[in-house]
Amino acid sequence: MKPTCFTRGVLSLFLVGAITVPLLAADPMEEIKQTTDKILSIVTNPALKTPSKTVEREKLLHQAVYERFDWEEVARRALATHWAKRTAEEKREFVRLFSELLERTYLKKVEDYSGEKVLYEGETKEGDYATVKVKIITKKEKDIPVEYRLKKEENNWFIYDVSIEGVSLVNNYRTQFNSILLQSSYEELVKRLREKNEPK
Amino acid sequence: MNRVCWICFFLALYLIMLPGPCTGSQPPEAPVSVSPSDELGAMAIAMKPPEPSGEANSFESPHTDEPLLSANQEDEPAEIADEDTSSTSSELEEPARGIADPLEPVNRAFFHFNDKLYFWVLKPVATGYKAVIPEDGRVGVQNFFSNLTTPARLVNCLLQVRWKGAGNEAVRFLLNTTLGMAGFLDLGRTELKIQKQEADFGQTLGVWGIGPAFYINWPILGPSTLRETVGYVGDFFLDPRTYLPSQPIYYAIRPFELVNETSLTLGEYESLKKAALDPYIAVREAYYQYRQNKIGKSRNRQNNP
Repeated sequence: MKPTCFTRGVLSLFLVGAITVPLLAADPMEEIKQTTDKILSIVTNPALKTPSKTVEREKLLHQAVYERFDWEEVARRALATHWAKRTAEEKREFVRLFSELLERTYLKKVEDYSGEKVLYEGETKEGDYATVKVKIITKKEKDIPVEYRLKKEENNWFIYDVSIEGVSLVNNYRTQFNSILLQSSYEELVKRLREKNEPK
Repeated sequence: MNRVCWICFFLALYLIMLPGPCTGSQPPEAPVSVSPSDELGAMAIAMKPPEPSGEANSFESPHTDEPLLSANQEDEPAEIADEDTSSTSSELEEPARGIADPLEPVNRAFFHFNDKLYFWVLKPVATGYKAVIPEDGRVGVQNFFSNLTTPARLVNCLLQVRWKGAGNEAVRFLLNTTLGMAGFLDLGRTELKIQKQEADFGQTLGVWGIGPAFYINWPILGPSTLRETVGYVGDFFLDPRTYLPSQPIYYAIRPFELVNETSLTLGEYESLKKAALDPYIAVREAYYQYRQNKIGKSRNRQNNP
């Protein structure tokens, strides 16, 4: 009896997967929604909140966040003119360090989640680029407008910038990186990124 | 029981603020808190900030030594635009136009000061305050102060030709001041779904086409620009608190408001600092973008009311 249940479960999973995946692929808002729901379900899952599950929880969150971003694009835009000057090896390292920093920051925010509602306000598409507007409803005075910018790659949408209250993450880092690069060196920038990533 | 205490407390506060036929005294410049909201908004606000601990100092030092940044800052956008042709990246991207910062060394010094102020004074006090007073109470206080500053928003909506916005502010004010218990409840938002309008004199000047000139990081007040500073002064005269009968009350209310505000945003500045390689620049650019965004939004509202 058990095996049949199991196989049926697997089968239906495959079926559902087969039907939904191609349908969803074309819609950036749907993808943002999926990722958000996934993250929130992990964060709010009481079973994952016990200390023994911390590692598993982090892993799940990491997965959910990681797969929705195009980290190379984020890094490329943040480095802007300086990107082209780096070697392939340096680029790879930079993407890794920068994505680690961003992910940690983002997950910290997610950890603070306390029942805020997310309103999906709409999307605009322009070829391979899209913008998804979201509003976070908080208890406090004001709602927070968030804008995800996405890029399509192989029929999937990936985030390359997030802008909150009109403040773009990539732009903000770009100014910081640029200022550091102008005043010191790329090595210094990487050093600082590393220091930021060191667990304290 | 607790609730009754609360209401008494609010009523007392309200009474304190009421009796204000102006004496024309000159209180200090209004500590306009930039108060965007949580999340990254933290970035924009993060007004109390600047560098504590050695950790951050090590980041700071290379810059403070070199005053050349201010000049670089202005070149930067152009530079990016020039060289970025190699990639498609800027297609959908608004250009990262930085703001001029000729006062950077001084600004950084005040940033540092504000940072210390936050970590040594504001944060401990706000943390204690937060422990004693439940969030609903603190949000209520925030709403109350926000309701008080309605005149500035309403007038600025009018100056920006946002008739609907002005109407919304008027409705919110009437409702919140009466049924909303002097503004402690934001019924306009929770019941009628009418959002508070973001309108201040700095924004009005921006809508009128005046540029921000350059960045100023005030002690205590935090991030600003020349335009926004002129804006503070304008809004200051529209703030009922300006016309309080006695200065001591004003001096007591401001810090209280600041502590209350801080208690609702604890941790935001910290996370901004954790995420930033150069917190000063992160705050500066976030503030600038945040303001420009507000001005842009206001322009849009004019065009399609």
